[in-house]
Amino acid sequence: MEGAVLRLIESVPGSPAIETPSAVPPAAKPMPAHRGMNKAWRWLALHRRELRALAIGAMSLALFLLCWHLLTKYRVTVYIRFINVPSPEMVFNSLMRAARDTKFLNHVFLSCRRIFIGFAIATTIAVPLGLVMGRFRLVREFVFPVSEVLRPIPAIAWVPMSIMLWPSNEESIIFITFLGSFFPILLNTLHGMTMVDPVLIRAAQCLGAREASIFREVYFPATLPYVFTGLTVGMGVAWVSLIAAEMISGQFGIGYFTWEAYSLVQYADIALGMICIGVLGLGASALIRGLGGIVMPWGKK
Amino acid sequence: MSRNLNRKLVAVAVTAAVHSWTAAAGAQTVVKIGIGTQDTTTNTVTAGTVIRQLNLLEKFLPKDGKYANIKFEFEWNNFTSGPPVTNSMMANKLQFGMMGDYPLVVNGFTFQSNPESASRLIAVAAYNQFGSGNGLVVHKDSPYFQLSDLKGKLVSVPFGSAAHGMVLKAMQDRGWPADYFQLVSQSPEVGSTNLQEKKIDAHADFVPFAELLPFRGFARKIFDGVETNLPTWHGVVVRTDFADKYPEVVVAYIKALIAANEWFRADPKLASEKIQEWTGINKEVVYIFLGPGGNMTTDPTIKPILIDAAAQDVKVLQNLGRMKEFDVTKWVDDSYIRKAFAELKLDYDAQIKSMANYEVKGEDKFCNKPITDPRKAGEVWVDGEGIEPFSSAACTLGAYSSLKAKGKKINMAYVFDTSRGIKLFADQAYYATGGDKTAVAPFLLKKDAEEHAAKNGGKVLSFEDALKATLSGG
Repeated sequence: MEGAVLRLIESVPGSPAIETPSAVPPAAKPMPAHRGMNKAWRWLALHRRELRALAIGAMSLALFLLCWHLLTKYRVTVYIRFINVPSPEMVFNSLMRAARDTKFLNHVFLSCRRIFIGFAIATTIAVPLGLVMGRFRLVREFVFPVSEVLRPIPAIAWVPMSIMLWPSNEESIIFITFLGSFFPILLNTLHGMTMVDPVLIRAAQCLGAREASIFREVYFPATLPYVFTGLTVGMGVAWVSLIAAEMISGQFGIGYFTWEAYSLVQYADIALGMICIGVLGLGASALIRGLGGIVMPWGKK
Repeated sequence: MSRNLNRKLVAVAVTAAVHSWTAAAGAQTVVKIGIGTQDTTTNTVTAGTVIRQLNLLEKFLPKDGKYANIKFEFEWNNFTSGPPVTNSMMANKLQFGMMGDYPLVVNGFTFQSNPESASRLIAVAAYNQFGSGNGLVVHKDSPYFQLSDLKGKLVSVPFGSAAHGMVLKAMQDRGWPADYFQLVSQSPEVGSTNLQEKKIDAHADFVPFAELLPFRGFARKIFDGVETNLPTWHGVVVRTDFADKYPEVVVAYIKALIAANEWFRADPKLASEKIQEWTGINKEVVYIFLGPGGNMTTDPTIKPILIDAAAQDVKVLQNLGRMKEFDVTKWVDDSYIRKAFAELKLDYDAQIKSMANYEVKGEDKFCNKPITDPRKAGEVWVDGEGIEPFSSAACTLGAYSSLKAKGKKINMAYVFDTSRGIKLFADQAYYATGGDKTAVAPFLLKKDAEEHAAKNGGKVLSFEDALKATLSGG
């Protein structure tokens, strides 16, 4: 437990904990003149892994861009065909044009808000439901079949039903993003509950813990890592269903932007919309992982 | 041209069939022909669906000369709108595609950046000279009866479609600002559901939705594209790399299109029933578009007024910042259709000048007189029996009541708008009385009916009241 706490503190750069002996590399003796440089050095040493990952990640993205550039520049045709695929430059031009336009930022903002609301509702329903389903067999046997039937239905198929179900279009859109994230969160929470070591439960019971305490002290913490896996996957699926959801909106959202570009056959804008959704999805998942690190300091990095 | 042409077509078909027997031997190379259709967009059916279902293309494909050792394989793909067709054509999965005027110019423009091939307009599927076919519908319980009632309301239309062009033109004609409506983009399937649920105040769409949604019982048409007076049409485009290599196939395609049009006109009732079977669009709706005096004229010739309309479409798209330079006249290629006409011994130059549709004709068995003014006539479709023509709206309503009284099931009755001559579902029209006691004048718009009634000292009746009135009057 002590190590876990340390790790948590270490991960906050510039915090006073850096002065604790275990965190200081042996070579770096604190000397007043080189204090600033040493601090930087230590920070580098501490974050070597992260930096390495960052560098490799940047390299892989650069390589992806380069491949894309070359494939489209020379219009490569090796069974798969890049003849009409827009080049990165074209997409970049689209981006520049869009960035000058406040409408585009509004698209992005509205999509983020829809995803956030849908995802928040999904989390507040799916996590408790998953916990209860995992604890009580009757609830599981009752809910599981329905959820398994609804789960494989793709977002786009929900479009007409969603319009009919909800009084306003904004709600219909949020409902579809909600559906996207709901099932992964539910299933992962449920899975987490089944993975809880029964020995721990028995031990808690022997020590006189009541149902509520067992839930709070044993089930919940043990399930949390799975819940966060569910949240990460659920966030991804919420973005996946965005285009289908925003077909309803008719004027705003990055999914709508992509859809409209498709209906006017503008390939560069389609690619821009795709990349935008990808990047926003990446950001959202990173946020959740970060949150997971804070909530579960004992978890592995 | 119909009877004469039919005979010629049969002759061509027979010789083609003979050739196919002789060519069956020998080593063959396979050439794939991908064709993108829009089954549910009723005014393209004779350019795609009918050709596919009746195997018309096979009848006209060249079988000798350089084609002796070529075997054609067809791939028919059905879409609900034009853009996916363009997308597949760009990817060379489809060589032929059909779509409405707006998606067509987008198709031609998009192909400008394709290094492999361009696209060319080779034929017209169907058109309406005055823009009917596109329309704007509201929920039947809504208090909106004309376009100006929708000021500040939420109106959806598929952006980049012919219906979008209609809405923009209507606003421009009236000098309304761009924010007169809250205009949003919704595809037909989304817009229809939204309208049914009253989430939007109005939905503008292309064929067949402005007729189909009222027919399905929850919508009312309050604006017809005819009021914009800008032609609307659907056409066929082809990839030039394919057309240059196999020009005879393109000519054969146009012959098949002509044959499909003739097939429809030879028996519109049977054809409508077949098209319902193939596409799921109700036969009564198919008939209002492609039947006699219908809202669409099937004529493959590429008429200058349609190309002018396309040039207008380009301007609208340019104003929206959706298109750069695009010259429609260079995109049209009438060499194939001229060849097809010549080979079928038809006169292209005469046909291109004709704006005539085929009309309701025959003998009115209720009022016992011949039909002299087809755009004042009417029709009643008796279930299981056939479509009966009547000489006037009053005779149509009278016949309707008497057929009903005899216990016949009636699928649909049709009348024509008195001022604009567009075909209407009788039960959706407004009827103005006045002047001549027995006469009723059907109108699409309540406003027009009210004006007519006021002028003649009559009143406006609904379909049910008009039925009663003709019953008591006649």
